[in-house]
Amino acid sequence: MPNIDMDAPGSNQLFIGNEAMARGALEAGIGFASAYPGTPSSEILGSLSEVAKKRDIYVEWSVNEKVAIEAGAAASFAGVRALVAMKMNGLNTVIDFLSTITLSGIGKKGIVVMVGDDPSAHSSSNETDSRPVSKWLDIPLVEPGDFQEAKDMMPFLYGISEEFGTISIMRSVTRIAHARGNIKLGEIPKIAHKARFEQYLDPAAPMPTPIMCVPSSFRHMFQHMRMDKVREKFESCSFNRYVGPDKPDLLIITAGSGWLYSQDAVNALKAENRIGILKLGTLWPLPEKLIKTHLSKADKVIFIEETDPFLEGVIMEYTAGFSPESKRNLFYGKHTRHLNSFGELTPDAVIKAITSVLDIKYAPRDAEYMKKVEAVPQGHVMDRLLTFCPGCPHRASFWAIKNALAMDGRNGFVTGDIGCYTMALGPAGFFQTRTHQCMGAGAGLANGFGQLSRFGFNQPVVSVVGDSTFYHSIIPALVNGVHNHSNFTLVILDNGATAMTGFQPHPGTELTAMGEPAAQISMENICRAIGARVEICDPFDLKDTTRTILDLVEQDQGARVAIMRRTCELVRQKKEKKPYKMQIDPDKCLGEDCGCNRLCTRVFRCPGLIWDAAAGKTRIDEVICTACGVCADICPEGAITKEAIA
Amino acid sequence: MVTKTKGIGDLFKEIIDKGLCTVCGACVGDCPYVVFYRGKIRMLDFCNRTEGHCYEYCPRTFTDLDAISNKIHGTSYTGDEIGTVKEVLMARAGDSKTRAKAQYGGTVSALLSLALDNGVIDAAILSKNTDDKLPSGFVARSSAQVLEGAGSNYMAYPALEALNGMPRDSKDRLGIVVTPCQAIALAKMKVSPPSQRVSMENVRLSIGLFCTWALAYDRFFEFIKNNVSPAKIKKFDIPPPPANRFDFYIGKEVESFPLDGIRNYRMSTCAYCLDMTAEFTDISLGSVEGIEGWNTVIVRTQQGMDIVEEAKKKGVLEIKELPAQNLVHLKDAALIKKARAVQAIVERTGDKNDLMYLGISDNLKGKLLSHRVTAQGGH
Repeated sequence: MPNIDMDAPGSNQLFIGNEAMARGALEAGIGFASAYPGTPSSEILGSLSEVAKKRDIYVEWSVNEKVAIEAGAAASFAGVRALVAMKMNGLNTVIDFLSTITLSGIGKKGIVVMVGDDPSAHSSSNETDSRPVSKWLDIPLVEPGDFQEAKDMMPFLYGISEEFGTISIMRSVTRIAHARGNIKLGEIPKIAHKARFEQYLDPAAPMPTPIMCVPSSFRHMFQHMRMDKVREKFESCSFNRYVGPDKPDLLIITAGSGWLYSQDAVNALKAENRIGILKLGTLWPLPEKLIKTHLSKADKVIFIEETDPFLEGVIMEYTAGFSPESKRNLFYGKHTRHLNSFGELTPDAVIKAITSVLDIKYAPRDAEYMKKVEAVPQGHVMDRLLTFCPGCPHRASFWAIKNALAMDGRNGFVTGDIGCYTMALGPAGFFQTRTHQCMGAGAGLANGFGQLSRFGFNQPVVSVVGDSTFYHSIIPALVNGVHNHSNFTLVILDNGATAMTGFQPHPGTELTAMGEPAAQISMENICRAIGARVEICDPFDLKDTTRTILDLVEQDQGARVAIMRRTCELVRQKKEKKPYKMQIDPDKCLGEDCGCNRLCTRVFRCPGLIWDAAAGKTRIDEVICTACGVCADICPEGAITKEAIA
Repeated sequence: MVTKTKGIGDLFKEIIDKGLCTVCGACVGDCPYVVFYRGKIRMLDFCNRTEGHCYEYCPRTFTDLDAISNKIHGTSYTGDEIGTVKEVLMARAGDSKTRAKAQYGGTVSALLSLALDNGVIDAAILSKNTDDKLPSGFVARSSAQVLEGAGSNYMAYPALEALNGMPRDSKDRLGIVVTPCQAIALAKMKVSPPSQRVSMENVRLSIGLFCTWALAYDRFFEFIKNNVSPAKIKKFDIPPPPANRFDFYIGKEVESFPLDGIRNYRMSTCAYCLDMTAEFTDISLGSVEGIEGWNTVIVRTQQGMDIVEEAKKKGVLEIKELPAQNLVHLKDAALIKKARAVQAIVERTGDKNDLMYLGISDNLKGKLLSHRVTAQGGH
């Protein structure tokens, strides 16, 4: 990872988009940064935390996005620039606060929300487009079209935030956030932050206190007026620019990664003389005059943008107000099905759309190309499903849950949540998870299922959550469940890590984002204080864990808790050596015979176990096996053995 | 009638999910996919084998009684009321302590202890109750351990789970106590021995228990919990007719319930069973109508004869002749069970040519279908 705070103004550095944004925030002179991890936004706070002490800024992994944004707003209220980072799911959870801070305004210093969208939902439960929030709540929003802009837009956005007294949003997408590109560094200012919450009593003062949203309707009017002023400012912003002929056959209006793909497409089609690209960086409020100028020069217009037809919609809506004498354009995009409003944008998709509109013939590659591509990795790449790591405690936890629910025999099921364990929807977790929504939803759903016995519902419900998720959004659901006597079992998979996003600290871990000792919050104490029965078990003790779950499930009343505690294998193996020597006795291994039928490689499916079809036996993959020893306990023949290494 | 061996999915679809499972335990114990839990057979994972011992040995999948009879008794299935018989007699344990612990005459405990002492067997598989009053199979290696298994609670339990759980390479010679359905499953195992389980050659002595029906644990345990304190129960008893009672011994007190009510907790599958006297065993036994503290004993094989002779010689058993009238009653009851089973099967399938699992001759089928049965009875 590059050093994002290097003092080398003017030099070119290779940064991923998220590092560029973090660098931009440093160049903007932030003093406060808070976030909850989520792909593709996690590296922003991650990289800031590494330089926080040196740069004398405060960096925090907050318990959830809502607390993160409120904490950041406090810094703004007290006169310190604040950055808040989250993924689009996080933005959804902070809408309520956004809807009030847009009325109340901010403090003397700016606050920027960096939201990372994940088109195609590579690592997400949805692919929501965050941009409409800006229109809905009157919040300025920009989106970088390349890595340099990812950095440069930050200081610009703090300027907007402070000039107009409004919280501001930067949206990026996975391909900007996680791809790597050259950026030219600027200077990081040396600021001695001074925080003070000024309490003006004079209503005519520049920032009267209390900072509040009432009278809301009156402030709503100001909120709209403020956007008109921001729009004026955006008309001349250099993040909006046009390249192409004066009167193009086709005008592309684009933003974000669409800008990169549009350039690629025009280049590939050698259509620089026919196609013009209007690249927008300030997406809300829109620079309407600039747009109108370019619309007047082209008959055909196509919108190239990630996910939703946001620009497409608002620009077509805007042109509906043009006078009857104005030029009328032919608009193409998602509403004409030239592009999809789902899944990730690709250069191929852009080329296809353009060639269709302009009736250009283009064959990107010969017909056999894909076959050749598919042939190359044959025999070199292992065929493997999405699964837990070898040695992952979650595999053992779900094994125990599966067996317990099967033994109970009442068609019990798991309501899932967000984390590595989401993979329990598939074979990794033996298909136990039957619902999958957003963070905290599994426990909320369990609350509801647990009240349905009066309607004949008798299936056991097990809500499975991770430790970080527990603190993030499960506690209110457990309070609700205990208070209302809902019938469900909450299982907390406590692996001591926010594993899926990269091991960020959470309220149960030892260190803060600054690397200082944290006050560790005991999840069992919380659960017991709420009034829930709490059992703690080690998932690697399959027998005890199965018995514990079964006992909890059979209790069949009230909200009760099992904490399955075992350190994430990726964390453990950094500190400790392999605990066992694992071996398989081929004479004992039954293979596909009756009495086993490859239980370990067909059902348990740890990647550390290999099915040797030729020998008809299971083997251990010495390279990736972590010697957790769990498979020795599931082998019905005792063919797999674990021998403790002293 | 389906005669092909299939896999676990079919076992659940055709047998278990249809309420035909006897919980004998033939599919449990050596297979990681199936477990017995609180009176039920449960599938933990799906085994995609198209043929499995679970299906093959199930006493409710196709069962060729001729093949079984040939294997156990060296003769085709006759359909006689109480099966193949060498001798019928009346017996009780010579030792009064054994009798005191036993359900009736203590003959089972006495015979197993003798077999262990004599070295005929090294271990005996029998049942004992868990804390929840659920019987489960266990392995006894001494007379003292055999006595732990004395007594019955009339609930279906997976005795064969304990047999399947024996190590594959075990050399122990085994004795086993089985109900009629378990005896059929065990006989099926002997006809077509499993490749990856303990050798069937090890099973040297099988002792069968007379059975009219068994109770389903899950439903019956609910009844016990609601009416009697499970932890305090010392003994369960269904006294011979005409008592028509189910007795719970709680300390020295006896709490009785009408047997007709208890019948509601029967395993539904028992209606389709035609074997009352555990015909495919070496020795089978039950109570004696009207004579308390004695067992009716049917000796069926040479192994059975040998151990009974030895017991008689050593005074381990007191032996008398079974009164002729008792034998008549026993045969009547056994025949009624056979006829009821076949008639219930035909009622279920709606087709006289579809006897579900039962492989018997057309002759016998005709005889049993035309036999007039009286109303509810048994035990």
